[in-house]
Amino acid sequence: MADVQFSNLEKDILQELMNIGFGQAAADLAQVIDLSIELSVPDIQLFKASDLRDHIANEVDSETEFSLVEQYFLGKFKGIALLVFPAKAGKQLVSLFGLQDQRNAPSERLELLEKEAMIEVGNILIGACVGKITELLNDVVIYSPPRVMIQDVCNSTLPKNLFDPDSMAISMKTVFHFEQQEISGQLFLIANHESISWLKTALHAFMEQYE
Amino acid sequence: MITLLIVDDSPIARQILKKCLPKEDNYSIIEACNGQEALEKFRQFRPEITFMDMTMPVMDGFQAIAEIKKLDPQAIIIAATADVQKKAKQRIADLGALMHLPKPASPKAVRDALAKAEQALREQI
Repeated sequence: MADVQFSNLEKDILQELMNIGFGQAAADLAQVIDLSIELSVPDIQLFKASDLRDHIANEVDSETEFSLVEQYFLGKFKGIALLVFPAKAGKQLVSLFGLQDQRNAPSERLELLEKEAMIEVGNILIGACVGKITELLNDVVIYSPPRVMIQDVCNSTLPKNLFDPDSMAISMKTVFHFEQQEISGQLFLIANHESISWLKTALHAFMEQYE
Repeated sequence: MITLLIVDDSPIARQILKKCLPKEDNYSIIEACNGQEALEKFRQFRPEITFMDMTMPVMDGFQAIAEIKKLDPQAIIIAATADVQKKAKQRIADLGALMHLPKPASPKAVRDALAKAEQALREQI
């Protein structure tokens, strides 16, 4: 396994960039749904790519079925964003988008609306957060279309074309909560081994302007 | 010499802010890494100007601003935060902070914020 060291300084810089990135993302989403989003201090961890299931299982409530919005980002900063909500959050997100009049719609239609609401939230949060981080690090990324899965956490794996199972991945996690709503979620940005080397250089270049 | 209290759980954010301070001015700088520590440092040093992060462990910036304002209603506090939501800005203003400084700080934004804070200080005298 290729070993990657990430110093405390590098973790601190990344944590602050994640904080700034998610702050921007929350502001963008709050404009759309007219609700404030409570932020938390981001958490940075290195883990083996093949351990994603265990990594996420440790972070979410394993008793609850959950919804996962998955989106790839590809640039020098390369990896996958995973937005995790409890499965029941779909209905609440639909009402946040002002579509509560659809609650008597056929169940297939409701299911589709819930997925659409999750994709929209994922698009905004992931795009704004990754976009701000890469802007600060002088990179540009492209995104895959987001997709939603309702599942048990143990089915999650990282795609082998992006993540060598034996390599290290870096997880940037932030937990958020919608004001006056019982909806909490977690956003994971998982960078692959290839981009970690670039990331380390870019983080130091970012800080050089403040030294 | 003006005493600044810089409150942020991130040592990187504190470093960025310090590096953005005007080079020609001489400030005495005190640091705290959460709202609770900020309160203690505020009581001890009575800084003229406080830069306060909002998202912190132990005690967040919203609570810290409220507590500092109880100690000194005239305390000059600049909210230096990544939380750029409209409602967060409003909440910060309602707590009596002088202004909102979005992260990452830039030398010009910090200079402008300090000019506004020093003007507010002069008006208190």
